[in-house]
Amino acid sequence: MILIAVAIVILLIIGIGIYNSLIGKKNQVTNTFSAIDVMLKKRFDLLPNLVVTLKQYMQYESGLLTKVVELRAQAGEANLTTTQKLELDKQLTSGVRGLMVNVENYPDLKANQNFLHLQSTWTESEEQIAAARRTYNAAVTEYNNAIMMFPGNLFAGMLNYQTMQVLENTEEERKNISAKTLFSS
Amino acid sequence: MTIIEGLQPSIDALEIQRKALAYLKTKGYIFIGAGILFAAAGFIFSDFLLFGLIPALVAFVFGFIALNRGSRLFEQYRHEFKLKIIAGAMKSIDQSLEIDYQQGLSEGNFIHSQLFNTRPDRYSSEDQITGSAGKTRFAFSEVHAEYKTVTQTKNGRRVEWHDIFKGIIFCADFNKHFKGITVIRPKDIGSSISNWFSENMPIFSSGSSMVKLENPDFSKCFVTYSIDQIEARYILTPAMMERLCQLESKSKYTISVSFIDSYMYIAFPLDKNYFEPPQFKSLLNANNWQKDIDVIRFMYDIVAELDLNTRIWGKH
Repeated sequence: MILIAVAIVILLIIGIGIYNSLIGKKNQVTNTFSAIDVMLKKRFDLLPNLVVTLKQYMQYESGLLTKVVELRAQAGEANLTTTQKLELDKQLTSGVRGLMVNVENYPDLKANQNFLHLQSTWTESEEQIAAARRTYNAAVTEYNNAIMMFPGNLFAGMLNYQTMQVLENTEEERKNISAKTLFSS
Repeated sequence: MTIIEGLQPSIDALEIQRKALAYLKTKGYIFIGAGILFAAAGFIFSDFLLFGLIPALVAFVFGFIALNRGSRLFEQYRHEFKLKIIAGAMKSIDQSLEIDYQQGLSEGNFIHSQLFNTRPDRYSSEDQITGSAGKTRFAFSEVHAEYKTVTQTKNGRRVEWHDIFKGIIFCADFNKHFKGITVIRPKDIGSSISNWFSENMPIFSSGSSMVKLENPDFSKCFVTYSIDQIEARYILTPAMMERLCQLESKSKYTISVSFIDSYMYIAFPLDKNYFEPPQFKSLLNANNWQKDIDVIRFMYDIVAELDLNTRIWGKH
């Protein structure tokens, strides 16, 4: 009788443990996804200053600048989902990168301290977003493993937990940012 | 004239000192050896005990005097070797390199680096070398940290000393800003078992600060802990993980790395005590001290190898 009671208590503890662990992992996924959102917000906040500084000097890059200004306007819109923001960030990254490559042609801009600061903060934010995406992917993988493996899968079925998709890494994230290719200073 | 060629007069002068101290020490050992033989002969042939002990005593006295003079001479020779040969040869690597052989990594900084979990009961550090490689300032020192265990035996308490770490700790200004603490330790059986449980049995997953990184080679050698998962990945980019794996492959024993207060610490466990002059081998043969210079070059090259001079992330 005592043995059965002990076995029930142990099973109950294991059950609670698995349940809590699954909840924890799902919350971790949500947390890491919000972290990407925070990083994107920080990055988009840099745009107005960056655009103003670039506009002062890069009069011959109007095509690229217009594109970045348009994207900046979109980034300022409310009600954007994180996925939309990520897509927008991808386009912004490529747009700003195009401008940075041409910085070589504008010696005054290259010497501008404000621009240099913005440039390194922009690169920093790029790396931080890459780190946040990798953290999100690690959390999703851990969550997916937990709900697909025994005994977590028994609870996942009851809780109606579904597997989640990882974010696809961009080519830049795989390669890591290189100073030489970004801006040869 | 190269810097090494420029050192030749100092090497020649020190070689004379080395020969003098080697002669004194050899003489000391011979006298002590002779003393032991006389004493043993006196005890074996007990009729001649006095005839054995008197010369033994004289030999011991002469032996210890010679060794003592040799030791004093060695301290002076050691001092000159570090300040003239090591410091001079370092300049061939970079003019900014300086050695302070009496200074080292302080015990407080050793504990603060969080490279090791155990607090040392006995600690010593020496031969601090500082300098800059491009924009990155760095320093490294020899460190020996030990902890003691006390066991109760039939004959009383037995104190045993065990190494926490013996080798060189390298510290450099990291090229990115960060606020938290990230520690990379060699993967051992304990951490492997704990990783397996947290991966395969969700109930055992503590949700602790272990960071699961994507690089399989990196994860095979190291286990990473951090108080901030995102920041750990901000520091440990895919490129940085590859570079640390390359650095690891060049070291005999698995290295430990920590990132704390915007600094990076790397612990290289080593068997040999570096930057010590040869006593019974000639200084004129550069091979007898070349390894010390190779170690300095290896440490200096870490900055380039880990790309610490790339400062495009807001830290200049």
